[in-house]
Amino acid sequence: MIELTNVHKSYGAVQAVRGVSFAIGAGEIVGLLGPNGAGKTTILKLLTGFHFPSSGLVQIAGHDVSEHPLAIKRRIGYLPENAPLYQDFTVQEYLQFAARARQMPREEQEKRITAAVAACGLDEVLHRPVAALSKGFRQRTGLAQAILHDPDILILDEPTSGLDPNQILEIRRLIRNLGERKTVLLSTHIMQEVEALCGRVLILNRGRIAATGTASQIAAELAGAQRFAISVIVPEAAAESVFDSVPGIAGAQNVTVQDVAAGPAPERTGAVAAEAAGAAAAPQTVPAERRLVRVSGEVALQRSAAARDIDTESGALLFDWAVARGYKLVELRPVRHSLEDLFAELTRS
Amino acid sequence: MMGSMLVVARKELHSLFNSAVAYIVITLFLGLTSVWFFSVHQFLARDVASLRGYFGLVPLLFVVLLPALTMRAWAEETSSGTLELLLTLPFSETQLVAGKFLGTLSLVAVMLLLTIPVPLTVLPLGFFEIGEIAGQYAGTLLLATAGLAVGQFVSACSRNQISAFLLSALALLLFSSIHVVNAVLLLPRGIAGLLNHLSFSYHYQSFERGLIDTRGVAYYLLVTALFLYLNTKVLVLRKWR
Repeated sequence: MIELTNVHKSYGAVQAVRGVSFAIGAGEIVGLLGPNGAGKTTILKLLTGFHFPSSGLVQIAGHDVSEHPLAIKRRIGYLPENAPLYQDFTVQEYLQFAARARQMPREEQEKRITAAVAACGLDEVLHRPVAALSKGFRQRTGLAQAILHDPDILILDEPTSGLDPNQILEIRRLIRNLGERKTVLLSTHIMQEVEALCGRVLILNRGRIAATGTASQIAAELAGAQRFAISVIVPEAAAESVFDSVPGIAGAQNVTVQDVAAGPAPERTGAVAAEAAGAAAAPQTVPAERRLVRVSGEVALQRSAAARDIDTESGALLFDWAVARGYKLVELRPVRHSLEDLFAELTRS
Repeated sequence: MMGSMLVVARKELHSLFNSAVAYIVITLFLGLTSVWFFSVHQFLARDVASLRGYFGLVPLLFVVLLPALTMRAWAEETSSGTLELLLTLPFSETQLVAGKFLGTLSLVAVMLLLTIPVPLTVLPLGFFEIGEIAGQYAGTLLLATAGLAVGQFVSACSRNQISAFLLSALALLLFSSIHVVNAVLLLPRGIAGLLNHLSFSYHYQSFERGLIDTRGVAYYLLVTALFLYLNTKVLVLRKWR
């Protein structure tokens, strides 16, 4: 549906997009993610024919954007950055203008405007001038304009910017619904948005694609190992390098050792518990090798190619290790790389 | 094609009438031409049955008033970001340029219609040539056509309305007064003639007398076509910049 081949775009001396290629199939929701100035908006402007590329090919539905602009503009719904609107129009007048621009028959105009207004929650401001609208309503008016003609392809530049949390959820739901039947390309610098909406992510940095795939694919690729936050109670003598005995360990980080506060002896006594009780009864007399400490840290496990549900399998592995050694497992939690960490890592200057 | 152009023209008129500019320009035009005609030109004291005096001030007024109408045409779209909207809706550059032009031109046409009470008031006072008056109106509309095309082109090249206004006014002033050079310098006949024929006012003079000179008609229409064409080229060029 959408295809960019080695696209470059410069504005004077500034190279906004440098050799970007990607393809988006019909019915996909794809997110363009990147810091400000990464080239997201430029790519969207190239796709909608507002700008033409300095070199490379921008194609939509098999047409070159600079050669068949009209045919392409008819198929696209576009929400530009900051949703520019005519200040002296009311919301209704504005949508009517867009409907006439799309050459809809009169009866269809009414129908489509009503549908878009309902979808974007604009009923209460329909007759208000755009200049008097809050940022959230402007954004929604822009979005209503973009979906007015029920286009196959939606291009949305930061669709949820300026909205409050409830509105964000509403608009995301709307985009997700639209995405079931349409191709959607949206840009954002909010990671949760991509995680919540997009089947695929293109991370852009300084005009180039830094990573591509689903959010979890990128996470896995970048992370390499599976990480767990773990705390175990072990004899002080074993405290140092306790994690070395974990099978398949790739490394441990942020390891801290704490004395264990003495508590009442548990009813069922295992080897470790008995010692804890002993330590509590006579702390002075317990020899160093029998004193207990709590060791906490983040361990990274090598990923086995066979593992399908890594969290569960590796978690079970750590549990078994603790039991076999007679350690008391007090915390075990998988540490997931958020897209945010990845983003920071990929786009660090 | 026509449909899209009319959609743009309608939108343009909507914006013009929603801003104070249209009303200010119309009021100024009606007021100044009448004050000039009756008080300064002393139409009643002259005892001549002609509206030449009424239309005498028009070229000078247009130097200031037409840029006021065209300054926002593209400059405002550029500065408010709505240009992106217009250019990504299914309009061709030609439709956009022609539509905007048509919108502003119809406002000027309305303005000229509003002057009709002036000839109606004086007609019973003497034997006026209706043909002369028709020629004067036709010339004024043609002059406005060319002036608006220049102004709209300048607006497309400007980023803000003020510079669009000042530059268009300067351009129209040059176009209106270039023949004055001949009054100061003695130039070779060919060059002098060329300067005359480049001037808005020189061609307007025959319309002012009520003559519809085909050279004048052709001149104004050519200037209009040239600047509207350049306007579309500026829009396309910006995509490649």
